[in-house]
Amino acid sequence: MSEVQTRSRMRFLPSGSALHKLSALITLLLLILAFSFTSPAFLSVNNGLTVLLQTAVIGLLAIGMTMVIITGGIDLSVGSVLALSGVVTGLLIKAGLPVVPAMALGVVAGGVCGFVNGLVITKMRITPFVATLGMMMIARGVALQLTGAAPISRLGETFGALGNGSFFRVVEMQANGFPKVIFPGIPYPAVLLLVMAVLGAYLLQRRQIGRHIFSVGSNEEAARLSGVDVVRTKIWAYTASGALAGLAGMVLMSRLVTIQPNEGVMYELDAIAASVIGGASLMGGVGSISGSMIGAFIIGVLRNGLNMAGTSAFIQQIIIGVVVIGAVFIDQMRNRN
Amino acid sequence: MLNTATEKTPLVEMSHIHKRFGGLHAVEDVSVSLNAGEVVGVLGHNGAGKSCLMRILSGAMKPNEGKILINGQEAVIDTPQDARLNGIETIYQTLALANHLDAAANLFLGRELKTRFGNLDDARMFSEAENALRQLNPNFKNLRDAVSNLSGGQRQVIAIARAIYFQAKVLIMDEPTAALGPSETAMVADLTLRLKAEGIGIFLISHDMHDVFELCDRVMVMNKGRNVGTFAIKDVNKDDVLSLIIKGALPDDWTPRGQA
Ligand SMILES: Nc1ncnc2c1ncn2[C@@H]1O[C@H](COP(=O)(O)OP(=O)(O)OP(=O)(O)O)[C@@H](O)[C@H]1O
Ligand SMILES: [Mg+2]
Repeated sequence: MSEVQTRSRMRFLPSGSALHKLSALITLLLLILAFSFTSPAFLSVNNGLTVLLQTAVIGLLAIGMTMVIITGGIDLSVGSVLALSGVVTGLLIKAGLPVVPAMALGVVAGGVCGFVNGLVITKMRITPFVATLGMMMIARGVALQLTGAAPISRLGETFGALGNGSFFRVVEMQANGFPKVIFPGIPYPAVLLLVMAVLGAYLLQRRQIGRHIFSVGSNEEAARLSGVDVVRTKIWAYTASGALAGLAGMVLMSRLVTIQPNEGVMYELDAIAASVIGGASLMGGVGSISGSMIGAFIIGVLRNGLNMAGTSAFIQQIIIGVVVIGAVFIDQMRNRN
Repeated sequence: MLNTATEKTPLVEMSHIHKRFGGLHAVEDVSVSLNAGEVVGVLGHNGAGKSCLMRILSGAMKPNEGKILINGQEAVIDTPQDARLNGIETIYQTLALANHLDAAANLFLGRELKTRFGNLDDARMFSEAENALRQLNPNFKNLRDAVSNLSGGQRQVIAIARAIYFQAKVLIMDEPTAALGPSETAMVADLTLRLKAEGIGIFLISHDMHDVFELCDRVMVMNKGRNVGTFAIKDVNKDDVLSLIIKGALPDDWTPRGQA
């Protein structure tokens, strides 16, 4: 629907969500422009790839978060679930399982956490905020308990492939015997993010489950009366969010080639911020994957650009906080008119 | 005429329905039946329990006691899906529309049309919705707008179109014309008679005495959750019905008007 809708509207004048996305995109471009003036190294291929890598984790989390937010819920547990998934994978590798099945089971562990969130929310009728706040503490506690709060390292080279490898990498041997990187390649995490974002957008826009996710967030009672299985739809969304958190955990831990049970603290807030900057409404019924990806990149570029300009981490927090409030405020102003 | 109708097995028979909310008896021991090709008016003051009774038949609400027979068979209607499987469609008083979705998405919500690959067939849903809506309102525009941007009357038309599109056997209309203008109201009246002629049984909740007397074959009046009388429409006049609605009893001098 909204693809067709967006296209037909764009012909006249962008409005509503299309306008929001457009302004978010312009903000992103302005940020890139501003940072390329302040620090010349910002607009290099290498730095571009760094931003891509950094954004991949937040982006993956934001895909699931967007689905949950569209149902009218929230998932505060993704940062902890990310860590727990990593721990599960690390322990399985240590127990002798090969990397690929261990990673797959790590993603499954994330999905299970999400599924439990869904059950607690729908069957026990606990609000999403409280249910996922509980899961946030439980998953973090389990991750720390299983590892004794110590990182798991020496996981082998293959474990680092997902986070550090890339497609189309071109390296040339120089006369002096040292390799020279001609093209650093497209990192696997960036490709993974693209694939998951396209898949997520497809599910939301073109499949029945996506339509039901929107309807549940728009008017839960109407969805129920129309024959939508509200419980199943919500459980689906939280499970997807958990599994994507697991996948984000794989990418992050693989990049570090170490399992850090302390990783991912406050990542849920970045993912929520990305969704909200991208136009998702915490009231439910509104949001898009493309918008959230723009939001994730705005946060990624802001962090990276401010880093390169030498801004302290504290000031970065302040700026991102202001951006989140500003984005929502501007959106509300526009909707009122 | 009424005799032959009662000898047949009714399409729907609700018997001894009770619905309580804490101490409040919203529906108290109500029995009512509906035959094919018949319009039964469900009347009563605000808060009399009309919507509750109908929501029980639509599967939107579970009764505390009572049973429902469809074609003489006891039916389990626990969810809106169960009601639909029994051929029961409902126009809810609240309309039950998802505000952020457009008309077509609402019309097919829960019953989306899909392509061979299981994708949403938005093109077909749109053209079907366009046809269905134009039948009720030839000037229906803004089909692609989110329904929150539509007028109350347009929203009501979507709710009506959704209920009749899927070829119900039983139609529940809970104040279907509350937000409609005179010409749309007349259109819904025509539609009601057409569906009745097709053999569909209709429960009509309305506060409009004119509509009730024009469309209904029988009326069932509720007062404070109780059924205070079911009458063939020819046996009562407006004053009788108003007296039932307000006092819960017929005027003292009442005799069946049809026989007079
Ligand atoms: N979900 C609910 N929870 C608690 N009480 C309810 C609920 N739904 C209805 N009631 C109560 O049950 C009674 C009957 O309500 P109902 O909606 O059936 O009235 P109605 O006859 O349809 O009135 P109206 O003409 O105003 O639509 C009212 O007193 C109402 O407050
Ligand atoms: Mg009512």
